[in-house]
Amino acid sequence: MKTSTILKYILLGIFNALMFYVVPLAISYESWFFLLIIGIITFLVNITYITNKLKPLKWITPGFIFLISFVLFPAGYNFYVSFTNWQTGHILTKTQVIERLEDLTYSTEEQKGVEFDLYVMQDSNLDFFFLADFDQDNLLFGRAVTSDQFEDIEYATHEPSFKDSNNNITIPESFYLLSGKEQIANSSTLQDLSLLVDKNTRIKLYNISVFGASSGRIFSSQQKYTYDKDSEILYDNRKNVACTLGDRGNFICGGESVDPGWRINVGTENYQRIVDDQRFRGPLSTVAKWTFQFAFFSVVLAFIVGLLLAITLNNEKVRFQKLYRSIYIIPYAIPAFISILVFRGLLNPDFGLVNDWLDPLYQLFNIEPIRWFRTEESSKAAVLLVNTWLGFPYMFLIVTGALQSIPNELIEASKVDGATPRQSFFKITFPLLLVSISPLLIGAFAFNFNNFTLIFLLTGGGPPIVGADVSVGYTDILISFTYNLAVSGGRGVQFGLAAAVTTLIFFLVLIISAISFRYSKRLERVYGNI
Amino acid sequence: MNNTKLRFGAILLILSLVLVACGGSTEETVEEPVVEEAPAETLAAPATTSPPPEKLLIWAEEKIAVALDPLVGAYESAAGVDVEVVIYDFGSIKDDVLTAGPAGEGPDLFIGPHDMVGEVVTNGVVAPIDLGSIQSDIFDVGISAFSYGGEVYGFPYATEAIAMYYNADLVDGVPTTWDEVKAACDAAGTEICVGAPGGGGGGDAYHNHPFFASDGGYIFKFDGGFDPSDVGLDNAGALASAEFLDSLVKNGTVASTDYGASMSAFQEGRSLFWMTGPWARNDAAAVNYGVGLIPTFGGNAATPFVGVRGMFISAFSEKKVLAQSFILDFFATVDVQAAMYAEDPRLPATKSLFAIVESEDPIAAQFAASASNGIPMPNIPEMGSVWGPVGDALLIIRDQNYGTNEDTGVTVDSAADAMKLAAQQVRDAIAGG
Repeated sequence: MKTSTILKYILLGIFNALMFYVVPLAISYESWFFLLIIGIITFLVNITYITNKLKPLKWITPGFIFLISFVLFPAGYNFYVSFTNWQTGHILTKTQVIERLEDLTYSTEEQKGVEFDLYVMQDSNLDFFFLADFDQDNLLFGRAVTSDQFEDIEYATHEPSFKDSNNNITIPESFYLLSGKEQIANSSTLQDLSLLVDKNTRIKLYNISVFGASSGRIFSSQQKYTYDKDSEILYDNRKNVACTLGDRGNFICGGESVDPGWRINVGTENYQRIVDDQRFRGPLSTVAKWTFQFAFFSVVLAFIVGLLLAITLNNEKVRFQKLYRSIYIIPYAIPAFISILVFRGLLNPDFGLVNDWLDPLYQLFNIEPIRWFRTEESSKAAVLLVNTWLGFPYMFLIVTGALQSIPNELIEASKVDGATPRQSFFKITFPLLLVSISPLLIGAFAFNFNNFTLIFLLTGGGPPIVGADVSVGYTDILISFTYNLAVSGGRGVQFGLAAAVTTLIFFLVLIISAISFRYSKRLERVYGNI
Repeated sequence: MNNTKLRFGAILLILSLVLVACGGSTEETVEEPVVEEAPAETLAAPATTSPPPEKLLIWAEEKIAVALDPLVGAYESAAGVDVEVVIYDFGSIKDDVLTAGPAGEGPDLFIGPHDMVGEVVTNGVVAPIDLGSIQSDIFDVGISAFSYGGEVYGFPYATEAIAMYYNADLVDGVPTTWDEVKAACDAAGTEICVGAPGGGGGGDAYHNHPFFASDGGYIFKFDGGFDPSDVGLDNAGALASAEFLDSLVKNGTVASTDYGASMSAFQEGRSLFWMTGPWARNDAAAVNYGVGLIPTFGGNAATPFVGVRGMFISAFSEKKVLAQSFILDFFATVDVQAAMYAEDPRLPATKSLFAIVESEDPIAAQFAASASNGIPMPNIPEMGSVWGPVGDALLIIRDQNYGTNEDTGVTVDSAADAMKLAAQQVRDAIAGG
């Protein structure tokens, strides 16, 4: 057997081992969807590499897996979330909510703040006993049990014999007193135990002290809610009411919904809100228009600047070509968010350097200084300016690369045929460039369509559109508008709604890209054969 | 190639690897049996065989983690607990707790600002805490900041509120009225009088709170808890305060600066005053600075927002009693609180530590005095709908961006108009859900 074959099977074995390792984890978290995906991926990988029939797939399968995990899965999940009421107060599952609610306890007013020392001990059967030291007349002692044993246990009794004449606690021989450290070692067990004083009063351990005397403090409490699985009714023990299931993923107690609630499917409600709610509809057209303008001009401007630089530096007569090329890459190498914050400072209308530099011009022509970020036009200009700065090195890079792949003979041939340099650029170089670069331009458009970072850090969407139904700014693009609505909803964060809008944006970008690719294919047919 | 045999061998190999992996993982799942007490033959020493030590996972920001690091060892050995403090970015703790908790990956304890209390409680990811006897040592503002629906949800360890920095080389202190502030600036002749974040294109309802809430205005009515149905952004007091702010901007007292611009202006000596909080003390140290109270509004003390930081217990923690004991028995003690203050000098939330700090640090005392006039930032989830509209409205005033909007046809000619608009947007957002 060849070494490569052995290696292949070993790698495949390791892959399978990893996948099988995940299975019990997925089962323990009850994520069946994840399990399904794991199954599909494992199956795909194995049939691709073990059988010979599917050999061509072996190049495609890894890419396909990445496509599933990083594109299709997030998009699909987003799609799923857009049909739920996932928002503040509804982030848990129903089982988790019931667990949380049953965890809650309450104390009556007169029990609140009552504190006393609590001693924890064990007998020879390793059962736990609590001794609560209220005062001289109330030295309560008894076995501490979990809630399912409440029925068959006796209430705590007053045991004066546990104190000696000096008022010190004395423990009988038959019991072992746990130190603070030992209580902590058993705290997972102890936290579920209660000492029953009467039907409604329990004593629980609540603070294990290791630095002070080996004691604890307690409070008496009761479970606040109990849930009945069969009738699906939640009982509020404090107010003594039965709570029914609401239709929004909540329990309803006496007309009021109980927090937390859980996630439910709400159908197309989130999409309907986008259409019906004036708070969305009002600013939507303004925002959508600017989003298209922003993405389009960002690409065009960056492309023009990158193209000019690339062509200039492509001329062999330019000295230090490599040095210049390196310099123009620098803006690309600096993290965008740093550049954006620097520009925010530079453009500050009152104290920024840009207005300082422009000051002589303002005075010469006797014009008002530009109020950067405070007017609609200046903010939009600033956004485009900064985005051009951030985007041109990328365009410069790809144009430089594409230029070098255009055969020189074509240019020379056109020269021989008597074309001017301008003619040969517009008739030969530029169309050929577009063939190879237009897919990247489409990619840049799609990226800028959702360029949240720039807007969020540079203008925060501002300046505000005064009088709009909701807080929205002139430089807000669809994604930042969505973000604002999702996080500043009436009551916390609304993931379901945000997912609905992003789903729409996703399809929008998909359609634009599809149309553009078709167009660029036509270019390819015309020029690709040269 | 002799294919069939080879492939059979290979599949065997794969299967064996799979079995190894399965074996490994099953072992891991059985690894944590709840080891009960060792059987005690003699009652004298039952708990001697060491069960695996309990583990506490804490998410804290770097400074807190650094402060806890040298101290936590003593607790670990005394209590037989492994305390693991994971350094976390303060701002991202909330989002991660909301996702990691329900997935079973969250911490037992985590720190956070009090204004997230409403959201995390509504989402059911934090457990109430019983502060017991230490509650009386905590300032009321800390307790009310962490109260929601009648329960307390965290141990407050630090408070903060903005006050007024002044350049001590140019002025002796902060005057008590805004007229005197203006006069002091004219005398000093600095380019900027008061630099306060919230202008210059960067809306900031937090720093601007004293400008609308000192003379009767409020965001949500506070009466034990915050009432989201009672918005007081456009009551008479708020409108009068906003108009007063407008006059301060017009006469050049309050400059149109965002946070960065106000900071650099103060550091470079171009502004006489800077309105911000104790976190900026290191930045302000570029000049010889002092701190005083924000001047009064209509005779009323300025009411800044008070932010409180605290430690929460996760509702998904399996060791709530242990987590609570960690807070009460270790984290809340004066020694630990003092170490945290040394690392990150915010105002102590406990009276015992404040008594120590007050005498040693007069600037902290000034911030504390400012905080004592303030109100806690609303901790209800509805607060999310406030920042945007109120920040926008104050930005209009701070930047004097009045006029009629061409797209909406809405005219905002005065500070009062801007506040009314903000109030309407907040009410709409809350009604819209």
